Amino acid sequence: MVSDLVLLPQFLTNGLVIGSGYVLVAVGLTLIFGILHIVNFAHGEFYMLGGFAAVLGSQLLGLPALPTLLVVAVVMAAFGLVVERVVFRPLGGKDPTNAIIASFGLSVLLQNLMLKTVGAEPMAVKSGFAPGAIQIGNVFITAERIAIVAAMAVIVAALLLVLRYTWTGRALRSLSENPTVALISGVNVRRVSLITFVIGSVLAGLSGALMSTVFMVQPNSGALIVMKAFIIVVVAGMGSIEGAIIVGLALGLIESLVAGYMGNELRDIVGFLIVILVLAVRPQGLFGLKTERS
Amino acid sequence: MRTPLILLLTTAIACALPAVLESGYFINVAIIALIYVILASSLDIMMGWTGKFSFAHAAFFGIGAYTAAMMQRSFGTDLWAHLPAGMAAAALFGVLLGLPSLRLQGHFLAIMSIAFQTVVYLVLAQWTDLTGGHYGLPVEVSPELGNVSTFYFVTLGCTLVACLFVWFLTQSRFGDTLTAIRDDETLARTIGMDTNVIKIVAFAISSALAGGAGVLMAHHIRGVTPNDYTVMTSATIVAMVVLGGRGKFWGPIVGALILTILPEVLSDLAEYKHIMYGALLIFMIMVMPQGVVGALTGRKAK
Repeated sequence: MVSDLVLLPQFLTNGLVIGSGYVLVAVGLTLIFGILHIVNFAHGEFYMLGGFAAVLGSQLLGLPALPTLLVVAVVMAAFGLVVERVVFRPLGGKDPTNAIIASFGLSVLLQNLMLKTVGAEPMAVKSGFAPGAIQIGNVFITAERIAIVAAMAVIVAALLLVLRYTWTGRALRSLSENPTVALISGVNVRRVSLITFVIGSVLAGLSGALMSTVFMVQPNSGALIVMKAFIIVVVAGMGSIEGAIIVGLALGLIESLVAGYMGNELRDIVGFLIVILVLAVRPQGLFGLKTERS
Repeated sequence: MRTPLILLLTTAIACALPAVLESGYFINVAIIALIYVILASSLDIMMGWTGKFSFAHAAFFGIGAYTAAMMQRSFGTDLWAHLPAGMAAAALFGVLLGLPSLRLQGHFLAIMSIAFQTVVYLVLAQWTDLTGGHYGLPVEVSPELGNVSTFYFVTLGCTLVACLFVWFLTQSRFGDTLTAIRDDETLARTIGMDTNVIKIVAFAISSALAGGAGVLMAHHIRGVTPNDYTVMTSATIVAMVVLGGRGKFWGPIVGALILTILPEVLSDLAEYKHIMYGALLIFMIMVMPQGVVGALTGRKAK
């Protein structure tokens, strides 16, 4: 048991890195699903596309880390813009199951399009950082992993500041509380919805780019991530960004501990068991205030 | 009563297929098409008639298939034992998924079902001692069913029974309660329907039929692997229902036939079939959300 505890700091560190990736995807999904109420099953494919955009920037264009992230952000913003305008806006307001089915079709389409164009081989994103692990106490960590946590902290802090202090941020928060009242109060709901969707897809893409420096990227990379992002948003409570941050980090830590102490094959299942439990007991989520179920 | 007669007539014509199609390959395609007819029709009980969304249908399909494979491994049983067992196992899991889903609507139900689908896939792929992991398990077909034409007739019979069952179910009083839940669940409960029991029963029936389809599939391809029962398979079944038309008896049947036969006829396109499914789902939802059959029969319902 003592030897097991020696590894605990390492497991926690790994969990923190994975959790940071989850936070970015889940905060993006909170904006899209929790606030705009669009069930976007293709969100994981946004993550995957972000990974491939980073491959494009770092490998094909040979850019260093920060300009690569900029390329990812621009590509994903453009992509999010097109998807919102072409797919989700025309479907808005009608039967919500239509948007679910369409986003599912988009997910299948993007996954298989990438499979045909780049193949199933996993690709790595080159960060340009010095290889090899850094030792801190008895924890080993690579520069890429430290960068993931740092980038998540910076991006999330920037987002929270934008939400708190800018006009768009205020409009967005008012939209999350009551779209009708927001509209009456002069908020351009269509414009704010578009911006929200674009921010959400950029966050997913950045997460994919960052995580692909450690875990590689392949066309089905997003399939499991999107489910975990939904788990996080639902467990946190619809529209709660702070909740998504806490639950995202917690899920990363729990998965890492479960994989370390109970067996790696249980890693991916534990989140689903948590969400089924939470939905059955507290459908509004841990940090959700309103009892929203549909 | 016109529909069951047309169904019987269609089946009678389908009986002649093995004589017309000389190649075993096309009979194989026909068997797969029939299995998907069962899957799409049974999913439509939930999606079209009850208005409850599910992305977990391939999970029940897989549970049926794995029940057959595991029973054979342990007890050496054959198809006739596997069919009821696979259906019962799938129904049981349907109730298991249904119970925590009772309070959920729309979005959350879709997420719950896709979470369940993922859990089932992960268990099938990773619990190697029980399921054979990624390599799956072999299934042997008893000699009297070994001939592909014979197996085609067995599948055709099962499909006919399943479709007739779905027809009489949706036309029955029970079917009316399903439609009532779809159209307004609160109202249905207000006028005294026990919506929870009805939804669970509908879920169990829909899952049981998918489980039966799984047993047929396991025997047809002589084995089970987890990759046949992924969320992509669920997407395919959803695409069939949406393409054909939700809540129409002929909708899922037509959708399933189109989506299984089309890629085979245009065999150059077979490798693009998932891209086609994805694009088709988006296209249909945006242009023709009522489906092919829905568009052809006018806008009577919904």
